[in-house]
Amino acid sequence: MVFLLPDAVTEAAQVASERTAIVCRKESLSYGQLEQRSNQLARTLVDQGVIRGDRVGIFLDKSIESAITLYGIMKAGAAYVPLDVSAPPARLDYVVKHCGIHHLVTAPNKRRGLVQLLASSDSPIECLIGAPAIEGIRARHISWKDISLTSSSHIESGCLDQDLAYIMYTSGSTGEPKGIMHSHASGLSYAKWAHDVYSLRAEDRLTNHAPLHFDLSTFDFFAGALAGATTVIVGDEYLKLPASYSQLLADEKITTFFTVPYTLTQLLTRGALDQRDLTALRWIIFGGEPFPMKYLVSLMAALPHARFSNMYGPAEVNGCTYYHVPRPIEDEETPIPIGTTWRNADALIVDEDDHILTDNTPGELLIRSSTMMQGYWNRPDLNKLAFAKLAGTEEHPHYYYCTGDLVERLDDGNLKFLGRKDRQIKTRGYRVELDEVEASVLKLAPVEEAAAFAVPYGEGSLSIHVAVILAPESNQVTSIDLLKTLKEMLPWYSVPQKLTTEFTFPRTTSGKIDRRALQTRAAQA
Amino acid sequence: MSDNRSLIRDFILHELLNGEQADELEFDTNLLVSGLVDSLGMVRLIAHLEEKLSVKIPPEDVTIENFISIDVMADYLKTVQTS
Repeated sequence: MVFLLPDAVTEAAQVASERTAIVCRKESLSYGQLEQRSNQLARTLVDQGVIRGDRVGIFLDKSIESAITLYGIMKAGAAYVPLDVSAPPARLDYVVKHCGIHHLVTAPNKRRGLVQLLASSDSPIECLIGAPAIEGIRARHISWKDISLTSSSHIESGCLDQDLAYIMYTSGSTGEPKGIMHSHASGLSYAKWAHDVYSLRAEDRLTNHAPLHFDLSTFDFFAGALAGATTVIVGDEYLKLPASYSQLLADEKITTFFTVPYTLTQLLTRGALDQRDLTALRWIIFGGEPFPMKYLVSLMAALPHARFSNMYGPAEVNGCTYYHVPRPIEDEETPIPIGTTWRNADALIVDEDDHILTDNTPGELLIRSSTMMQGYWNRPDLNKLAFAKLAGTEEHPHYYYCTGDLVERLDDGNLKFLGRKDRQIKTRGYRVELDEVEASVLKLAPVEEAAAFAVPYGEGSLSIHVAVILAPESNQVTSIDLLKTLKEMLPWYSVPQKLTTEFTFPRTTSGKIDRRALQTRAAQA
Repeated sequence: MSDNRSLIRDFILHELLNGEQADELEFDTNLLVSGLVDSLGMVRLIAHLEEKLSVKIPPEDVTIENFISIDVMADYLKTVQTS
């Protein structure tokens, strides 16, 4: 019976041991091999002192080993904590200490990062799994060769589905990362949802686009395993060269592609899609941020046989709503909705006093679902604010996660995303949605990417700034031209006071534009 | 063609890396997995090469095989300069 996330692999290995589970570059693993190699890692971890309930870090590039590792850690009864290999050492040091990570799974090519990570004299890390001996580091080490000599027989972790499966650290508004805790139950519930909504089958070939510390990755691995499908891990080099990415999609005959709008825009504009055979693509699923309509419409025209789906959900609740984009799109200007919740989730819209709104007026979206997190690791202060006790009865209240996202229910029942609650500002006495300003800027033809943010101005007032990246062929367009057009599109108080053109944007570890960094930079200028 | 290698290295070092990490930027460094060049950096580099060398680099040529390192890029550029 499948009630823990790794059970899906164990079951697939019993049903079809030879079927390919994971592909990465020139390597691949069958379900039988994935089962055995993750058992070996689990046994190694237990031998090294890992016990049920421990947190074990993952410090790996995307690789075959990264797939083995997440299952190996869970099979040992621990929760995996993926670390962002590109994050600054101070941030990683915070996570390692905050989460109490004693064991870290890594690889020889991460030597440089490991030296930085373990430089802190009070680092709790005492055992490096998969690393060579590194001079000056006192943590003991076990090589991948040692792991391969361990018994590969099944191991019982004794875990229940309510036990923690993984903790993902995400940026917090105060600057300190917060660790989102998911149990096997909530992770598996999401995998079942995805499996059902996208009718995944054993014949499907999924990508793993996102790194492990980004919640998109759980769809690729867990929903994929539940279907007994193949997951193709996309190396970081492909993310930088869209023409190679599109070639990979064609060569691997990918059927189910879950990614972010930014990547899809890159593929559309630079991916030489007209020269690739992408007829195997069944689903293109995107989430994480709104997809600018002009690119969505063009991409749907470029890939006429694929279905497109917008998936919405903060990492705290995994996916919770979806919208399958109809063909043709009736209105090519208006952003598509985030859709409706699946059957095992409830959405409420509330006003600022947490009163439930039933009359289609906009408000904050609250979600109750089996895919919901347990809370933030060791942050009782945040956990008090994250959930609202609403509805139900006095004896049996219902707990909802407060998404911080503003939505509106449309007449057809679909939810429309309006913006972040904390992206609503007051300027010149008027209420402005920064996301709405941004969406308008993105409608302008020369604009490839845009970020709107508020900068303090005078006493307690805010001014709207916009930074844009122009399409390469549009470098003659000036800020004045763009502002002139915007004045015709937006109410006067929503028109940005400043618009700058940039070559590149600061980005968060999940690839989203880091609007806070832009804001800080502008405020200091 | 060593000129092309310097042209590429100078642009990456001064325009994309603000003069930092010079010690990591060898002609054979894998630029794509080292994190030295991101996707927009690659777009700017290509625009720069097209302008300086008066060549046209079609999108389908911008692949791992042609752009993984400075050495590989210089070899690729030879093929578009002579064609």
